[in-house]
Amino acid sequence: VRGPRFRRLKIGAGHRLDVKASGVFVLGIGHGNKLLTDLYNCHLTKVYTVGGLFGKATDDFSDTGKLVEKTTFDHITREKLERILAVIQGTNHKALLMHSNIDMKTQEAYELAVKGLIHPMGKSPPIITAIRCLQFGLPEFQLEIHCLHETQQYLRKIVHEIGLELKSSAVCTQVRRIRDGVFTLDDALLRTQWNLQNIQNAIWDCQLKVKTELERTLG
Amino acid sequence: AAAMALRGARWAAALGFRRGLAKAAGPRSTRQLREAEEAAPVFQYVGKAAKRKDRVFVWGFCYSGALGVPSFVKPDVGWKKPRRIQPTPYRLETEEKISSAACGYGFTLLSSTTTDITKVWGMGLNKDSQLGFQRSRRDRTKGYEYVLEPSPIPLPLEKPQHTRVLQVSCGRAHSLILTDSEGVFTMGNNSYGQCGRKVVEDETYSESHLIHQLKEFDSRVVQVVCGQDHSLFRTEKGVVYACGWGADGQTGLGHYDITSVPTKLRGDIAGVNIIQVSSYGDCCLAVSDEGDVFGWGNSEYLQLASVTETTQVNVPRHLPFKIGKIKEAACGGTGNVVLTEEGNVFVWGYGILGKGPNLIETAVPEMIPPSLFGWSDFNPDIRVAHVRCGLSQFAALTNRGELFVWGKNLRGCLGTGRMEDQYFPWRVTVPGEVVDVACGVDHMVSMVKSFT
Repeated sequence: VRGPRFRRLKIGAGHRLDVKASGVFVLGIGHGNKLLTDLYNCHLTKVYTVGGLFGKATDDFSDTGKLVEKTTFDHITREKLERILAVIQGTNHKALLMHSNIDMKTQEAYELAVKGLIHPMGKSPPIITAIRCLQFGLPEFQLEIHCLHETQQYLRKIVHEIGLELKSSAVCTQVRRIRDGVFTLDDALLRTQWNLQNIQNAIWDCQLKVKTELERTLG
Repeated sequence: AAAMALRGARWAAALGFRRGLAKAAGPRSTRQLREAEEAAPVFQYVGKAAKRKDRVFVWGFCYSGALGVPSFVKPDVGWKKPRRIQPTPYRLETEEKISSAACGYGFTLLSSTTTDITKVWGMGLNKDSQLGFQRSRRDRTKGYEYVLEPSPIPLPLEKPQHTRVLQVSCGRAHSLILTDSEGVFTMGNNSYGQCGRKVVEDETYSESHLIHQLKEFDSRVVQVVCGQDHSLFRTEKGVVYACGWGADGQTGLGHYDITSVPTKLRGDIAGVNIIQVSSYGDCCLAVSDEGDVFGWGNSEYLQLASVTETTQVNVPRHLPFKIGKIKEAACGGTGNVVLTEEGNVFVWGYGILGKGPNLIETAVPEMIPPSLFGWSDFNPDIRVAHVRCGLSQFAALTNRGELFVWGKNLRGCLGTGRMEDQYFPWRVTVPGEVVDVACGVDHMVSMVKSFT
């Protein structure tokens, strides 16, 4: 029998990625679609690099939107930015503990809090588990954000709110997902590498990682 | 563009309306957008040399007026109900920068290092004149029993425009104010001699004008601490004095009687340079410059059970803990907490100690894991900088300016927004970097610097 090897493929998408954002995008093929729901229930964190620019505020929080306001930013220092980031991390850590639906009065809640394993295992609003500043050079800056249940527009809104807290304004120039659960940039395939051989190799390499992660989290 | 404008004008003239308008507006091109953006005005919200503002936040039980917000007790609008508890931090407007605050049992003292005439403000319960004499506006001969907003306390200073107030401290019904050159001022209840003057039989303490001044110490006093009914003074040379009620041995003078004159303590701290003293209930702790900790007073809750089985210790005893050099100590009603040089927090005593609901009492200090204070692989340089104690709650400040509280949540004093007790350290969200916190029985006051 001759003809193409695969005629119809069922492809499912993992966590959503915006048109304006870039980075790791997980797809499931054929039987892998079943693993997609399991991976979603693991509630693993995703890591983004977010680039921002001080001095402008736009209506959709990115640099291509309609200008709302321009402000000065020469009073901003790296120290002030890191202070704001520490507070954001603190309030989000509190939200993490509150949405995890564990009764705070039990001994097991204390044990999990010590190990840092408290995680919301159901629906929750977007929570940032860790945030830090990678680069800072006025007017641009770059942040690394680890988050759960978020959308890219939420990350742009966070950049805008950081600008407001520092009594200035900021827009988001770049959102790039560098990690989605167990998949990092090294496992990802570029647009030029989308052919059968590469896809098969990638699936083969990731199989072990995915299996161990699912067993660890879902038990 | 000019030709188009003329043609448009001729068309308009021909059609008979829209005279004088060049052309209709359409979707703007990229060049127009960029030009509009560059021509937009730039707003400046804060200049380059903007300073961070100092703020005071209060939370806890409001009815006694200890929070200093009159609208909580007497609402300014008729339909609002008085607020009994303020569960989350609420900003208190003050005229000056507050450098020191202390919470007593239902009242609060705030002080500033200014050289103005008014240096100390008090609010809350005043039934024993612990806030001095607050003249009532309705009847000039009587004083207020409850002070609802921060009111100045008039101090009998010799040089009011030179002396600065360094620190204040509050006990159950008395308060101490430390100045830099005029000694210590004491006011309030003196039925056990805790104000450092002789006990007068049947003295009425309410509406009293008497503020006593203490100056006879071997050197300058640098720290004053109030226990429930006793007072401790620490001088520059590292010597500790005490006066007040001693039935639990909290005066540390070797007997269980009342002392009405500040007397030097001996025991294990004789000759030792003490750098910090702490007390809130009936137990006292002192830290020496070499990192040792000494304790005396009530030991019914195993606070001093590591050295003795007796429940009252009236002579300072060295507590031989092998937990490292100790930097700071704080005493609560039933539990104690110390902070070591490495930044670790150790608790012991009775009650909710901060290690989950299973740990209720221990005589030996147990460490609280630093991961509960925000330490992780992502943030490895977070350290606890200060520890404070209220009657049944604890507070810890990190070097990032975050405030963690745990303990019994009596009338919302923890400030977490919930009414339940907290069994392990929990962050309090304050809009600013917390510099210092003062814990009381059912309320807390914090001094905060704004972010920018």
